[in-house]
Amino acid sequence: MATVVSPSPDSSPNIPSANIQLPAIQSYTQVNDEIIGTLRPTGKWFAGLGFAILCMLIGATAWTYQIYMGLGVAGYTPPVMWGVYIVTFVFWVGIGHAGTLISAILYLFRAGFRTTIYRCAEAMTVFAVMTAGLFPILHLGRPWKFFYLIPYPNWRLIWPQFKSPLVWDVFAILTYLTVSATFLYIGLVPDLAAMRDREKHPVRKQIYSVLSLGWRNSDREWRHFARAYLFLAAFSTPLVLSVHSVVSFDFAMSLVPGWHATLFAPYFVAGAIFSGIGMVFTIIIPVRRWFNLKKYVTINHLDAAAKLCLFTSLVVGTAYLVEFFIGWYSGSEFEHSYWWDRVFGQWWWAAWIMLLCNCVLPLTLFSQKLRRNTTWLFMLSIFINLGMWFERFVIFEPSLSHEFEPWQWTAYAPTYIDWAILLGSFGFFSMWFLLFIKNLPIIAISEVKEIVPPPVRAPHKVEGINVSGMHLEFEPETPGERD
Amino acid sequence: MQGIVGVFSDLDSTVDAIESLKKMRAGDITVYSPAPRHEIEHVIAKGPSPVRRFTLIGGLLGATFGYWIPIWVSDYWPLVVGGKPVPSWVPYTIISFELMVLIGSLATVLGLFVNSRFPRITMTVGYDPRFSDGEFGVWVECPPDRQREVSGTLQKFGAAEVRGEA
Repeated sequence: MATVVSPSPDSSPNIPSANIQLPAIQSYTQVNDEIIGTLRPTGKWFAGLGFAILCMLIGATAWTYQIYMGLGVAGYTPPVMWGVYIVTFVFWVGIGHAGTLISAILYLFRAGFRTTIYRCAEAMTVFAVMTAGLFPILHLGRPWKFFYLIPYPNWRLIWPQFKSPLVWDVFAILTYLTVSATFLYIGLVPDLAAMRDREKHPVRKQIYSVLSLGWRNSDREWRHFARAYLFLAAFSTPLVLSVHSVVSFDFAMSLVPGWHATLFAPYFVAGAIFSGIGMVFTIIIPVRRWFNLKKYVTINHLDAAAKLCLFTSLVVGTAYLVEFFIGWYSGSEFEHSYWWDRVFGQWWWAAWIMLLCNCVLPLTLFSQKLRRNTTWLFMLSIFINLGMWFERFVIFEPSLSHEFEPWQWTAYAPTYIDWAILLGSFGFFSMWFLLFIKNLPIIAISEVKEIVPPPVRAPHKVEGINVSGMHLEFEPETPGERD
Repeated sequence: MQGIVGVFSDLDSTVDAIESLKKMRAGDITVYSPAPRHEIEHVIAKGPSPVRRFTLIGGLLGATFGYWIPIWVSDYWPLVVGGKPVPSWVPYTIISFELMVLIGSLATVLGLFVNSRFPRITMTVGYDPRFSDGEFGVWVECPPDRQREVSGTLQKFGAAEVRGEA
């Protein structure tokens, strides 16, 4: 549900990112025409899908080889038994955070710029969490025993240990996947009805009819829909914050140097949101260009999202500083030794890639000119993705390879199997995303209609609309929420 | 079910027509709009949505179940350490929180389905595919003896099309 945040054009000329009007959109019909019009497959789309499937097959082949040969092919070097798979698991869970942040938290905060980018971010969330869910299974030597993680009793009526962070993780990730997918689907229902009503092909029309549940755009449906959407957003908001906190407990509950820190929960949540926003830029900038959606995802929307990116980068940078300080202030020689090794020892290159990509380069977003330069935003988003993958690498591998006993200190290097499976995960994610963008609307049709001035006989007679059809004032509520 | 549907191309005509029909006490009114609008919500003036009760009950049930399962399991197979109580409520709060969100969210969706009468197998009378595009619709459920009066009102306020359906 969109929120209208629209200062009149002459009241705040110096804050362009606050203006989320869509001046090029004149009518409801135009919204249907242009957004549903993006669903026609093209040759480039088929080529992209084929490439994604190829990458996924490379990953699947590597996994098959690993199952046949055993986990030894995956570069594990005792005591480093959490390698690229767990790094990538946390990376993808983090990517999955921006979707619900943008769709739920920004919805509750009435941030108008979310309207045209949230569907893309929500879909990204669902597919990223699906991808993340593969990695604990990939990490198992006997993946067919993954169901041991599911909380139900075995034949001796022994249940999982509910005090274990790994069991909390199962609850958190499965809840997040279910709620995110539900949130995505419920938001899609009015759009599916619009597609149903336009569709001429009988099979597709039947599919859209079933998926749209018989939605009719009636006042009763909008009223209950708005209420349900608000509550789903209210539930999703603490869920976003809890999921990566629970993931961080997998590490922080241990005594390993570098992991045993109370900072971990907020540190992981901020990093997750930062990485997710980076991935939103990686996806939305090409999509708005290829699908000619610049009228919908305007430069003002990107500018506002870039400010959020800058803010989360500053939070992440502060967390890094606090981490270094606590390591020094602890007085523990194990911590001192570990931190020195991490920043200036064998892992210096990974630590400095992380700092450069996550703390230094995003500072360029203080410049309005660069925030409104899509080429730079796209390049920066790639650096952020890289930096956030390395952040997880830097958290896990240096700690495990440099614990308490010097005779245990070791090195760790991923093998080609690890890299192939990492590539396969990007293929898996891209395949789902490409299938989504050609079968379902990438921009929420019904929410865009909420910020487009409605057709009126006499503009001045309608609440909040001036004679030129512009919204006059901030709307504190979405229709349907007044009770 | 029988009545009259009017198709409107602008919002203010729709709102004026609804106001007039409500004053006439013409019958149950259903308004179709491509997007939710405050103006329609104000003039229809329906009460609070009961979806919130589903959310509350679902959330409470989920939170209770999330504490009950691990406490019951702890007592069922007790591992006594240092004579301390077997159930440990602090870590169980995480399970309780996650199940509160999960069951509360699913109950919210159930509330939406029940109150909006989803899934609807066939489209009801009075609906027109134009209502998901750019037009507004007003469906008035009324007996045959009032249909002429209702049609006249809808036309008076500028309905582009008025037709009876049953």
